[in-house]
Amino acid sequence: MLAGQQTLLSRTMHDIRYDAVHDEFLVTNPFAQAILVFRGGADGEEAPIRIIQGPNTQLQGTGAQAGGVDRLDVDPVHDEIVIPAGDRILVFPRTGNGDVSPLRVIQGPATTLHRAQAIAVDPVHNVIVAGTNRQYKNGYGALLIFNRTDTGNAKPRGIILGPKSEIGNLNQLVTYSPKGWIIAAQTGDSYGKSEPEGVFVGVWSVHDNGDVPPRWRLAGPRSTLKKPRGVALNPKEKELMIADMTLNAVLTFYFPEIF
Amino acid sequence: MGRSKPIRRKPGWAAIFVLVVLSASLVLIVGKPNYPELGSASRAALRQRAGQPQLVRAEPLPAVEGLQEGMECAWMPASAPSTLLGAFQQPGGPVTAAPASVPIDRAPIRAIRDTYPTYSAVAVDLNSNEVYLQDENLFGYKVFDRLANTPPGAEFSEPKRIVGGINTKLEFNCALYVDPTSGDVYSVANDTMDTLVVFPREAQGNVAPMRELHTPHGTYGIAVDEAAQEMFLTVQHINGVVVYPKTAAGEDEPIRRLAGDRTALEDPHGIAVDPKNGWMFVSNHGSVKNTRPPRVGRFEPPSITVYPLRASGDTPPIRIIEGPRTQLNWPAHLFVDPEHGELYVANDVGDSVLVFRITDSGDVAPSRVIRGPKAGLKNPTGLFVDLANDELWVSSMGNHSARVFMRTADGDVAPMRIIRSAPAGKIALAIGNPGATAYDSRRDEILVPN
Repeated sequence: MLAGQQTLLSRTMHDIRYDAVHDEFLVTNPFAQAILVFRGGADGEEAPIRIIQGPNTQLQGTGAQAGGVDRLDVDPVHDEIVIPAGDRILVFPRTGNGDVSPLRVIQGPATTLHRAQAIAVDPVHNVIVAGTNRQYKNGYGALLIFNRTDTGNAKPRGIILGPKSEIGNLNQLVTYSPKGWIIAAQTGDSYGKSEPEGVFVGVWSVHDNGDVPPRWRLAGPRSTLKKPRGVALNPKEKELMIADMTLNAVLTFYFPEIF
Repeated sequence: MGRSKPIRRKPGWAAIFVLVVLSASLVLIVGKPNYPELGSASRAALRQRAGQPQLVRAEPLPAVEGLQEGMECAWMPASAPSTLLGAFQQPGGPVTAAPASVPIDRAPIRAIRDTYPTYSAVAVDLNSNEVYLQDENLFGYKVFDRLANTPPGAEFSEPKRIVGGINTKLEFNCALYVDPTSGDVYSVANDTMDTLVVFPREAQGNVAPMRELHTPHGTYGIAVDEAAQEMFLTVQHINGVVVYPKTAAGEDEPIRRLAGDRTALEDPHGIAVDPKNGWMFVSNHGSVKNTRPPRVGRFEPPSITVYPLRASGDTPPIRIIEGPRTQLNWPAHLFVDPEHGELYVANDVGDSVLVFRITDSGDVAPSRVIRGPKAGLKNPTGLFVDLANDELWVSSMGNHSARVFMRTADGDVAPMRIIRSAPAGKIALAIGNPGATAYDSRRDEILVPN
C-alpha cells in the first residue's frame, strides 16, 4: 500500500495508469493540481519520481470541469501523458518533471470539447478519446475521438453521441489497441445515489461515429455492478477489471469477446 | 490391296435399353424419389412443385437508419470499419452502421472486497453509555455498549444496533457527533451524498434520517459549539470551514465561511472547537491550490492551524503547528480538551495518536504519543475523549477496531478495551471509494487508488 505524507497523494484520485513499457504508474492529485509518476511497485511512504505541476502546465481550477487535473492516460509508445480538462485536452511529455508546458493543447470551438472528464489514448490507431458527462449536449454525454497529434482548434474525427449510445456520465476509459476498442465505465445518473440506473461498462470502436450503441454492454444482476467507475484490461487472461464505487470492490470478469 | 475401313461400332442400343428398363424397375421397386416435403406454408398456399424457381412473396425492404428516399447505401466490404470516404470526413459524415448491443450479464470470476466494517470515526453517548462507530466500508454506523470488550478468542463483537442501508443515505461517511443532551447522531458525508444526516438515538436498520442538511462536496470533520449551538464542518475541496446553526436543515446556507489563500487551509480534515478559549483547530494534509488565478497547486507540509472561533472570510491562522518534529502524517480527526489544555490528533499514516498542548505553535514535538505494537493502532482516523470516564477512544480504519486507552496514555501501551469487528489480526483491504483501477502486468497486480 502506497500512503503517507511523502507520497504527495490526496483523495479524489479518479484515475491511475500503469505504463508497462517503462514500469511506472501515474496518478493525479487534483487538490494540488499535479500529475504524479511513481516507479512500478512503489510501496509504503515512497515519493513520486516525477511531478508535473506549476503555472506553465495550464493545470488550474477544481477538477476537470474547471480546467484542472482529474483523470489521465499515458502513451508509452509516443512518450506522452494526456489530460482531459473540461474544454481542453492537454498533452505533456511523459518524462516531464516540474513546471513543464504542454506539448499540445486541443482547444477551441471546432473541438466541441465541453465537460471532458475522461481520456484514453490508442497509440496504434493514433487517436485520443475523450469522454464527457451528460452536460455535453441535450442531456447526453459523448465520446470524442481526435487524431493523436491534433493541436489547437481541431475537429474530432468522430463523435459518439445519442440515445442509442446510452452515454451519460463517463468515468475511466481504456483502449484495446489491437482491435481498436474503447472500453468505458458509465455510472449513470449517479449524483446522490448509491445504486443509480443506467450503469454499465460499454465497448465502442475508435472508428465509430454518430449515435452508435456499444458493441457489448456489461451490466445486469449477475454482474453485481452498482456504480462502475474504473476499468482496466489484462489481455493475456482476457480479463476486464472494474472498480465499483458502491461496492468498494474491484471485480474481475472474463471477457474474451473483446480480445 | 485395298484400304480397310475404320471399324465403327454401332451404339449399344441394347445396353441402353437395358439401363432404362433397370432404372424404371428401380423406381417401381424403391418408390418415388425422396423429394423434401413441402412446408406447411407452401401447402397452405396450394403451391406445387414447378421444377424451377418461382416467386413466393414480395415485401418492401426495411428502412435503413439515416438513409433517405432516393439515396443508395454506400457499398462497404464486410471487413472495412468505415468507408474510404468516411475516413477523410469530419463528424457529420457517415454514421457507423453498428449492430445492436450484445448484452453481457455474467458474474465476475473474482472480487476483491473487504467484508468487514472499517471505522472512520467514533463518538460516545455518556447518557446511554454507548459508543458509535462510523463504518466507511459497508456504510452505516454501529452501536456498542461503552464497556464492550471483544474476547481474544472471539471473531468479533456483535453491535447492539446497526444503522445502514440505502434509505439512510450513509455512504462514505467519515465523521460522527452525538448530541450530549438528546443523543441525536450526526453523520458527515465525505463524497457522494453531499448530505449531513441526523438520526435519533434509538434509530436502527435501514431508516430515513430524521433531518438532512445539504452540505458542500467533500465535508470531512465536525465539531459543535454547544453554547452557541453551532456546528463547524471542514470542506476539503474548497479548503474551507463552513459553520451552520446546529439545527440547520435542507438547503440552509452556512452562517459563516472560512476560506481563502491566507487561511493556510490546505486539504483540511479534522476540526475541534474550544469555546472556553475561543479557538478553532483544523488538521491539514498539505495539498493546496490558489483560489485566485493562476489557480496552480503546490505541496505544503501537514499542519494544525488555529483560528479565532468566529473566524470567517480569508482570515489567517493565529498559530500553526507544523514541521518535522510534530510527526504529523495525514492527520485526521481532532479532539480538544480545554480543561487539561490538550489537543488530540488521530495520526493516520503515523499509526499513532499525538497529543499537543493547545497553546503549541511552530515545529514542536507532541507532549504524548501513543504508538506501538501493544497499542495496536493501524491507520487511526477517529478519536473521542470521554472526560467523564477519563478515557480515550481511537478508531482504526486499518484493522476493523476501536480501542480504549486511559486518557493520559503515553507510549506503547496496551488498550484497556478493544471492540473488534473482524478476527484478531485481520488487516483491512483499505479500498475506499475506488474511482479507477489499473493492471500492472509485470507484477500481475491490480492498482486501486482510494
